[in-house]
Order: sequence, then structure tokens, then C-alpha cells
Amino acid sequence: MKIIIDGKRIELDDKKTILEAARENGISIPSLCDHQRLSPFAGCRLCIVQIKGRKGYPPSCSTYAEDGMEVKTKTPSLQRLRREILELILSEHPNACLICTEKENCDEFKSTIRKVGETTGCVLCPNNGHCELQDVVDALKVDKVRFPSVYRELEIKKEDPFFDRNYNLCILCGRCVRVCHEVRGASTLSFTYRGSQAVVGTVLDRPHLESGCQFCGACVDVCPTGALSERALKYESLADDTAATICPLCSMGCKLEVESKDGRILSSRPAPEGGVNRGQVCVKGRFMIKNLVHSPRRILKPMIRKDKELEEVTWDEALDFVACRLKKYKGKEVALVASSQVTCEDNFILQKFSRAALRTENIASPVSVSPLSTYRELVQEQGLKAGLNFRIEDISKANVLFLSGADLPVSHPIVWLEVLKAVKAGAKLVVASPQELSLNRYASVWLRNKPGTEVALFSYLSKAFLESEEDGGHSRVEGFGSFKKSLDKLDFSQVAQTTGVPKEKFMQTAELLLEGETSAFLFGAGLTQNPWGAQNLAALHNLALLKSGRLYPLGLENNLRGAFEMNNGHSDKGLSIDQVFRAVHSGSIKALYLAGPLPDLQKAKIEFLVIQGSFMNDNMEKADAVLPAATFAETDGTFVNVEGRIQKFQKVIGLSGEAQPDWWITSRLAKKMGHEGFGYKNQAAVMKEISRDIPGFSKISNTKLDNDDEVFVHEEVKGKEKFIPFKPVLAPEETGQKYPLLMSVDYNLDYYRNLALTQESKGLRMIRDSRWIKISPEDAKRLKLNDGDTVVVDSVSGKTQGRVRISGALPKGVVGANFLWNEDSDFSLVPLSFSSSFKNHILNIIPVKIKRGK
Amino acid sequence: MEKSVDELEKDQRELIHVLHDVQEEFGYIPAQAISQISKQLKISESEIFGVLTFYKAFSLKPRGEHLITICVGTACHVRGAPMILDEFERKLGIKAGETSEDNQFTLETVNCVGACALGPIAIADGEYHGQLKTRKVDKIIDKLMSTKRNGSD
Ligand code: SF4
Ligand code: SF4
Ligand code: SF4
Ligand code: SF4
Ligand code: FES
Ligand code: FES
Repeated sequence: MKIIIDGKRIELDDKKTILEAARENGISIPSLCDHQRLSPFAGCRLCIVQIKGRKGYPPSCSTYAEDGMEVKTKTPSLQRLRREILELILSEHPNACLICTEKENCDEFKSTIRKVGETTGCVLCPNNGHCELQDVVDALKVDKVRFPSVYRELEIKKEDPFFDRNYNLCILCGRCVRVCHEVRGASTLSFTYRGSQAVVGTVLDRPHLESGCQFCGACVDVCPTGALSERALKYESLADDTAATICPLCSMGCKLEVESKDGRILSSRPAPEGGVNRGQVCVKGRFMIKNLVHSPRRILKPMIRKDKELEEVTWDEALDFVACRLKKYKGKEVALVASSQVTCEDNFILQKFSRAALRTENIASPVSVSPLSTYRELVQEQGLKAGLNFRIEDISKANVLFLSGADLPVSHPIVWLEVLKAVKAGAKLVVASPQELSLNRYASVWLRNKPGTEVALFSYLSKAFLESEEDGGHSRVEGFGSFKKSLDKLDFSQVAQTTGVPKEKFMQTAELLLEGETSAFLFGAGLTQNPWGAQNLAALHNLALLKSGRLYPLGLENNLRGAFEMNNGHSDKGLSIDQVFRAVHSGSIKALYLAGPLPDLQKAKIEFLVIQGSFMNDNMEKADAVLPAATFAETDGTFVNVEGRIQKFQKVIGLSGEAQPDWWITSRLAKKMGHEGFGYKNQAAVMKEISRDIPGFSKISNTKLDNDDEVFVHEEVKGKEKFIPFKPVLAPEETGQKYPLLMSVDYNLDYYRNLALTQESKGLRMIRDSRWIKISPEDAKRLKLNDGDTVVVDSVSGKTQGRVRISGALPKGVVGANFLWNEDSDFSLVPLSFSSSFKNHILNIIPVKIKRGK
Repeated sequence: MEKSVDELEKDQRELIHVLHDVQEEFGYIPAQAISQISKQLKISESEIFGVLTFYKAFSLKPRGEHLITICVGTACHVRGAPMILDEFERKLGIKAGETSEDNQFTLETVNCVGACALGPIAIADGEYHGQLKTRKVDKIIDKLMSTKRNGSD
């Protein structure tokens, strides 16, 4: 296809709007409502053009190029019309600064005088000069507004966390409405009322908190004016540096752009292009980074315990002290806990240090209780043909999606965006979840099973599928015969009783699965984090295999996969993280090197505790030495995201206090303990060794990582397709008289190392406080509990505290709580959910009772 | 690859249909209904709110037994609609957009009902009164008072 724009011949391969074609060829057309990721809206009319042989002035943002078109973008009449349109827009916008003859001279002072309630001009606007309206005024050289000015006197909305909304500055471009609806699927914003009353708003003008907002900030980022603005930024001066990094707050691994001034982070936004996130992030990456890096809880100096008190000392003294004490222990007496939130380099060194210097195989980490490990175990045990790598964008290509064990918009926000894309393109979504999720609005079927009954649920789905299918040709697949036979044992009346799911839901799901060509089965920690997790997975695997669909394991931590690979290939002889926790309490472990998460250790019987971490918490009271570790923002390193993508990042600010990168600390310590081979100069030297020693990283050089965002963990997929016979599992312990409620644990990564993000952000606490104990309205009524009441949650394995949050999303009899490794000693679910009878599992369904606390 | 336009239009029509039913049933759209419709039609509450505030036919507050709508479109305006509106406001003791305390009358305005030649126009419980004069206002109100409103119109 050929078109001519302003006399320039342009060749086009695919369907494009005139505006896109012009932009790509360096021809600028003024525009305000258009946005490259959003559907055309044609609201502002600034992008009008003239097309030879056509009447009128069509908007170029919604007019598609056709072969042979001759387009003019800057005729005098177009420019005149545009100026008039812009003047109309400006008549309802504070315009004094825009048309002020002194505006250039006043530019440098702008940032100092804009801390005001109402914006009455650009000098007082929180937009910090990133204003598209200003740009258009400049481009069209508008220097007067001939229409009377209108001030709409709309109230400035400040009741929500993170951002303010001042619709007096709104030009009704609709970008926020579209991004929220089309890209995020939250549909919190709409155009409300009409004509001169039209305003962007929420249902009944409620706060965003009550309108399904994810607080992703996407609306703030696309707003061309200062109408939507990040509150915390209003009180800051202008940034002097912008740098790219990778978000450490979940397994998506979003590319972020961090603004800082004098070595202090001011804000973080999605990088506009590229990365898995392509211009999107979630509330954590958008609003939480600065709070955690500059948390007042940061540990900034090495400390050792002298005369019962922790005292600040030099690195040399601290390391000498730790080295000397640690040398006394070896083998089974000592354990190290690593983290899946620190870099590959850090994890590699922690592993090497444990084996060489601590002389132990007790290297525990949250990796062993992750969906990745459960999945890998199943694959290996059964010899299945299945890899861990995938590409996030493959998810949007599926026609049927099946989700279990994750609340995607919260736990895996970017995966959610891909699922939404698929659904908008006509794919069907099936959700298996005891709780009602916000994304259920997009689901064709919601299987509301009782907690912990997935084996029966998935297996009966397989049965229903096989019954409605003509001939799937499965018999050539190994194990099909015995699998089919094993399903005979499943009787519907029993399944209905176990799962609580009615027959028609099974039939509907089977039908959807039959219709869809490609399928994706997504699962998170909610499915695997319990003793029958492997069986849940086997049942899901069978269902997926019937459809030749693939399983997508969705881990939580940002570098879960990286930490997993650093340990891959080593024997599993040592203790797992839950076993370490029990062993430090029974006294069989005498020394603990804590470089990762572990709940409250107040009652631990250990002789020597070293904490290597970034944030203070209650465990420090027990520590003999505390070694301050840098955060991701102050280090170079690599994370491997949920897809298996290896992402290298660089520090965005300098080191804080005396904190040092984890790899630096542990290798220095190894040297002090007299071990060779720890003389790394920098992170790159560690990576060099990783690519030599770790199979998943073979042939992955630093240069490659620096220049390519498409580097994946090297994996060989062996094995074969195979069905696994169905075996009934014991449903979660019947909730008896003593513990009448079932607590089901949500897995959202609301912590970074040993910091609970809610500790540092009131905003996040308003959205989802990690101390909430969510209960159904029915149970709240029965127990006479109100929102905010303090309660004690009691279970066979211990007690914890929390605050009541009544939520209609929960069924009667089920209590919801968020998983956190540790916050402070009176609150942690972890001890409750470690069960001594299972290795490598955290129970996510715990029978409890709830009492009012003090 | 978005949902086809047809489907979108269908959803929209369905929503308007449901909103109409609710409006008929209760005389207004209660907040509770918005959340129920949202669950049923799988449309967000904010979107529903956007649609229902777009159309004057829906109201968020309970309406009176009788609904009087005065056209204030351009044609009616020049033919004296403001005076007619004034008269209604005075007689009923309420302003446009309000409902009388005894819940008998709701007075509303609308922009052009497409019968400009007959302006000024008032619509009383669905009945059009064209070429209206202020002195006819009493009569219209009396007539409404004497009829019990049944169903929609
Ligand atoms: S939105 Fe832009 S044009 Fe409007 S006051 Fe702010 S900086 Fe100026
Ligand atoms: S923050 Fe995100 S979810 Fe909330 S209104 Fe803006 S775009 Fe929508
Ligand atoms: S708030 Fe911003 S993005 Fe939304 S319509 Fe107004 S100007 Fe556009
Ligand atoms: S927490 Fe996850 S989804 Fe959110 S910005 Fe960070 S990496 Fe992206
Ligand atoms: S950019 Fe085309 S109408 Fe706004
Ligand atoms: S202006 Fe009243 S009917 Fe058109």
C-alpha cells in the first residue's frame, strides 16, 4: 500500500491509521486524545487532515490509510481550525501561563512554586513540565484565547492513596478511561454525565478504593495534563537523573524507569517501551520502590553483639567476628537460609559459601516451597515432557484459559494483562477459586470449589471432557488407559459434595475446553502450596494433556527462577526451609546464617545467629551479628523472571550507608574464613563463573546480557507425554468443633526481603493490609465482629493476630489471609502453616478458630 | 481484535434495557441495583454509572408519582420555555431536578424532544402538551393530581 502525506511517498505493509503512518515517517500531526496503546477515540479533533477527493476534515487518528490516498496535514485552513479547537479546549483550562509572553523566562522557577492546592496555571501545575497540552500549544503557536474562560469549580479528589485527581484540568481526552478499561480491565473510570456536565468519574463518584481500582497508575501515566498526578511527587523538586532497572517486587520482572535527585529516588514508572511489561506496571512497581529503598528500617551499618547489645562496628571487625565464630560449626549443626529476591550472583555466592565455608548441605530457601519446585518434581518423577520457560505473550494467543491458585491482577499483574488481551479477542476464561476474584467479571465459568478440593474438581472435569468428546485419539498417549479407568471411581454425587460445584458448571467447562483450539492452564502457589499440591498438579496436568494445552507455573518471587537455577543439579540432601525452622527450635541446628526470610526466631534455641539483610525486624534481637545488605537499587545484577528471561540491571543510585551487595559480603566473609576462590572484583566476575558452572546459564556472557533482553535460561526438555492415574486425596481436615473455619492463604508478594511493604506504605495498607483477616459477612455477623476489630487466629500449630476485614468475596466458613514470611513477631502466618508432617510444604488451608483479641 | 462492534452494541442495548426495567420498577436506579446489574451483565459499576448518567431517562434519586418534563431546547427556549418552567417551579414549589416533599411531583428539563414545531413543550406523565401557555400550567397539574399513576405512563 502506498500513500502520500505532505508530498512524501510512504510505503505501508499493514493496516495503520494516517496518524501512525505520519508519525513513523517523521511527520508530526498535533494530537491529544490519541495514544499508541489505546483504541482510536477521535475526541479532541486536533489531528484533523485533508484527504484529496474527500470532503471535510477527518481525524487522522481514526482514519485508516488506504492505497493511493493523498493526505495534507498542515494546510492553512487546517492550522486555523486546529487553533480554534485548541482555544476552545483552553477556554476550560487554566490558560494564563500558556499564553503568557514571559513563559520562557519563568521556566526555571516552575518547580519551586507548584506546591499549592489548586492549579491555576502551569507554574503551579504538578505536571512538572511533562505536559502534552503545553507541547500542542507550542506547536500550534497559540498565543491568545478568544473565548471566555470557564472554571468548572470541581472538587479536587484526594481521598485515594497515591494520586490526586483534579478534573478542572481535564480535557476529556478519555485516555485514562480507555487505558483502565482496555489495558487494565479494571474499568474504574468512565465518562459520566454529558454535555457541559461531562466529567470523568467513578460509580456514584465513589473513591477509587471502592471502585475496583488496581492503583496501577496507568491512568496517571497516560494523562496528557496535570489532572491526574502522583501525590508524593508534588512535594519533591525536579529529578536530576533517570535510570532503568528491573522491579524486584514480583516474578513479572517489569522494566522500570527510576527518577532520582542527589542519590535519592523520587519516583518509579514503567519504562515506556520494551520489557515484559511494555509500558505497564502495578501498584508496587509504580508507588512502592522509593518507600522500600529509603525505608527508615534500612540497616546501614555492620553490627555485632557485645555485652548483650548490638553495636555498630567496621566491616572488618564484623567479618572477623563472624568468621571466627562460624568456623566452629559445620555440617548438620549449621544452616543457611537464602532468598529468592536477591540476584543470581548473590544466590550463587551464598551456595558456594555454604558448601565451602560452612561445610553444609543445609542451604534452605523459599524455592523449595514454590510452585516451580512442585512442578519440577512432578515432571521429573513422572518423566514428563514439560519445560519451565515460556513467553508471556503466548498466553494472549490461547482460546481457552484456565486459572487456578492465583489472583492475577494482584499476584501476576502482567500475566493478567495478557489474559485480558486474550479475553478481549474472544478467548474464554475459566476460573477455579473458592474466593470471588475481581477478574471473575471476565470469566465465562467460575468454578467455586471448596478450598483444597482441586484434585476432585480437575479430575471430574477430565471425566466430563472425555464424555463430551467424540474421539480425542488419546489412546496413543502413555497411561491413557489406566487414567481413564481410574476416573471410573469418580462418582458425581461424591464430587459434588466434596467440591460444592454443580454439574452444569462441569459441563460448561468441558464444552468450552472442547471448543477452544489452543489452551493455557495457569496456576499459582495457591494450588501447589500444600501437601497434596503435587496431586493437584497431576490432575491439572491430565486435564491440560487432554487438550494438548500447556501449564504455566506462576511463581511469586522476582528471582525465584534464578535462585532455583543456582541450586539446580545439587543434591537435595540438606534441610528444607520449614525443617530449618523446626530444627532451630529443637536445638539441632546451632548456628544459622540468615540471608533470606524466616519467621519469628525469638524462641529459637541457637548459639549463633547472623543476619544478612536490608531491613530491621524483630529477629535482630536474637542476632549475634547483623550485616547490612544493599537493595536492588544499589547493585548490579541479574534476575530471572517468571518466563525464564534473564534480565541484567544496573544500580540506579549509590550504596546507602555502609550496606554492600550480598555477593560482596559473603565472599569477603569466605575469604576471612580462609577460603580461596572468592576474590571477585565485581558482579560481572561472579556472572562469568555462573556461566561456567551453572548449566542453565551456559554460554551466557555478560556482553550478551548487556545487549539483549531476550536471553532465556538454557533448558533441555526431555521426557514424554503421559497421563497420571487419578488417586483420591484426603480433603483438608474436616473443620471440627474446635476449629470451625478454614483459613485459605493468598499469595501476593507484598514483601521485599524481610520488609512487609505495608509497613512502609499507608496507601498499600488501605488497599490490602497484610494484617487483614478477611471473613465473610455471614461469619462476621455470627461472631459479632466489625471491620477493624483485632482478632486472634488460633490453629493446631499456633496463633497469630490480625484485623478483621469483612469481604463479600469469601464464602461462609472460609477466612482469607495474605502470606508474608515475617513482619513482626505477633503477626505471621508462616509458623501456623508449617506442618511437621510434610517436608517442603507450607499449608495454605488451615483449620482455625477466631476470637476477638485486645 | 476487540469484541466486534455488534457485540458491544448488543451489550450496551442490554444494559439500557435492564436500566429501563429498574427505573420502571422503582422509579429510580438504586445503588444496590448498579452492583447487581454489574454482577449479572459482567460490566463494571463505573461503566454502568457512565451510561445511566448519560441518559436523562434514568435518575439516581427516587422520582415522584408524577413526572413533568419541560423541554428547554433552543426552539422551545425562544418560544418561552423559561417562563413555562418558572411557572411550574412556582406552582409546585420545587426547582427543576427536584421532587416535591409529598413525593407527588418530579420536575425535570430536557434538551429538545424532537417536536420543535410544537414548542414550548411539556411532557406530563408521558402526555405531550404543545404550544403551551403559562396559564395552562394549573390545568396540567390538576389533571395529574386527579389521576392515579399506574405503570409506566
Ligand atoms: S496541565 Fe499542562 S497546560 Fe495545564 S496547567 Fe498543567 S502544565 Fe499547564
Ligand atoms: S490506577 Fe489503574 S486501575 Fe486505577 S483507575 Fe487508574 S488505570 Fe484504572
Ligand atoms: S483525566 Fe487526563 S487522561 Fe483522563 S480524560 Fe482527563 S485529561 Fe484525559
Ligand atoms: S511488582 Fe511485579 S507487576 Fe508490579 S511492577 Fe514489579 S514486577 Fe511489575
Ligand atoms: S488525536 Fe485524533 S481526535 Fe484526538
Ligand atoms: S427544542 Fe423543544 S422540542 Fe426541540
